[in-house]
Amino acid sequence: MERHLQEQTAAESADSGGTGRAGGLPHVAGAQEARSDDRMTLLLRLRAQTKQQLLEYKSMVDAYEEKTPEQIIQENQIEAKVEDLENEIEEVKIALEMKNLALARMQLSTALKKNLEKNDTMNSVLMDNMKHILKLNKLVMKSQQESWELEEKLLDVRKKRLQLKQASERKLLEIQTEKNKQKEDLDNVENSDKIKAMQKNLQKEIQITTVIQHVFQNLILGSKANWAEDSALKETVLQLEKNLTMI
Amino acid sequence: MSVLRPLDKLPGLNTATVLLVGSEDALLQQLADSMLKEDCASELRVHLAKALPLPSNVNRPRIDLIVFVINLHSKYSLQHVEESLHHVDASFFLGRVCFLGTGAGQEHHCILHRNTVLKLAHTYRSPLFFCDLEVEDFRATMAQRLVRMLLICAGHVRGVSALNLLSLLRTSETPPPEEL
Repeated sequence: MERHLQEQTAAESADSGGTGRAGGLPHVAGAQEARSDDRMTLLLRLRAQTKQQLLEYKSMVDAYEEKTPEQIIQENQIEAKVEDLENEIEEVKIALEMKNLALARMQLSTALKKNLEKNDTMNSVLMDNMKHILKLNKLVMKSQQESWELEEKLLDVRKKRLQLKQASERKLLEIQTEKNKQKEDLDNVENSDKIKAMQKNLQKEIQITTVIQHVFQNLILGSKANWAEDSALKETVLQLEKNLTMI
Repeated sequence: MSVLRPLDKLPGLNTATVLLVGSEDALLQQLADSMLKEDCASELRVHLAKALPLPSNVNRPRIDLIVFVINLHSKYSLQHVEESLHHVDASFFLGRVCFLGTGAGQEHHCILHRNTVLKLAHTYRSPLFFCDLEVEDFRATMAQRLVRMLLICAGHVRGVSALNLLSLLRTSETPPPEEL
């Protein structure tokens, strides 16, 4: 059920063997050097490997020394725990990276400092760069200040516009209230009692006049006088047609 | 031994061993050949197995990486792999196990859903690769990736450990629920 396959080391031995058989003294010497170089590389590689493997074994031993919880944990809790542990790993890695970055920054700054102390501070490219950076920063600050002022102006104009709008709104409201008041007054006046009394009087007078007219007409008709010949009598009789309420 | 444990033997000098577990012999053989063709400075050893547990009479070197090959065209490969997973020690899953799903390219032959394999890999917190082992180029690329993973798991790369690689390869999304 199981088989295994194998492959010999490809790079080193083949190469060194090939160059070794090239012939000639300088060739052989060169080949020997190449071989020892290769051996050195191999040894260094093996050293790195052994170190890494040692590190792995050490970490395994440390991990086993930690007490693992013996009680039976439920499924979903296991999931949560595993995720917590994975996140812990991530956090440790991130912390390591940040520390490396901080170290690199510190190293960079000390190297920079030493460089500046060593070189002639007036002529170095570094100083030119820094001066350029300062100039640009000043420009940036100035344009930021200008834009801030412009924004302030814009804000003021907008405020004024708002105030004007509010004032016009108020004025229109006033006009409307005035108009409403006028209409109310007119209605009041129309419905006031004085006018009602006056209207009643008017009606009464009209009725009295109508009655008097009727009396005159009947008088003239009753007197059997010929009213068609006399214009004044004619007028009085014919006034029956006019309805006094229409005057 | 009935359970595979990582780091239980001393490592061979400049040697890295990978164990390919899967039910399809031909695929494993092809993958093994591609891996051995890869150019790397360390000595590679490839062991093939249909299922765990491995017979204990054979003297074998320390296994650095286990690759479970699941063929999406057959149910049996998944069953075999699941049974074999019981014979692997828990500490192996800290970066020394990976799953390889093959045959995803031919949709109409696939019996297993992609999500099944995704969930399996998520349960075991191991990286999952999809590769069509039939195609020459894909196989070569996959072999290259596996060889690099193997070198890291065997400790041949300075500064990177198997656990480190595992957290680098971790995907943050949980697999979507299986569509019935």
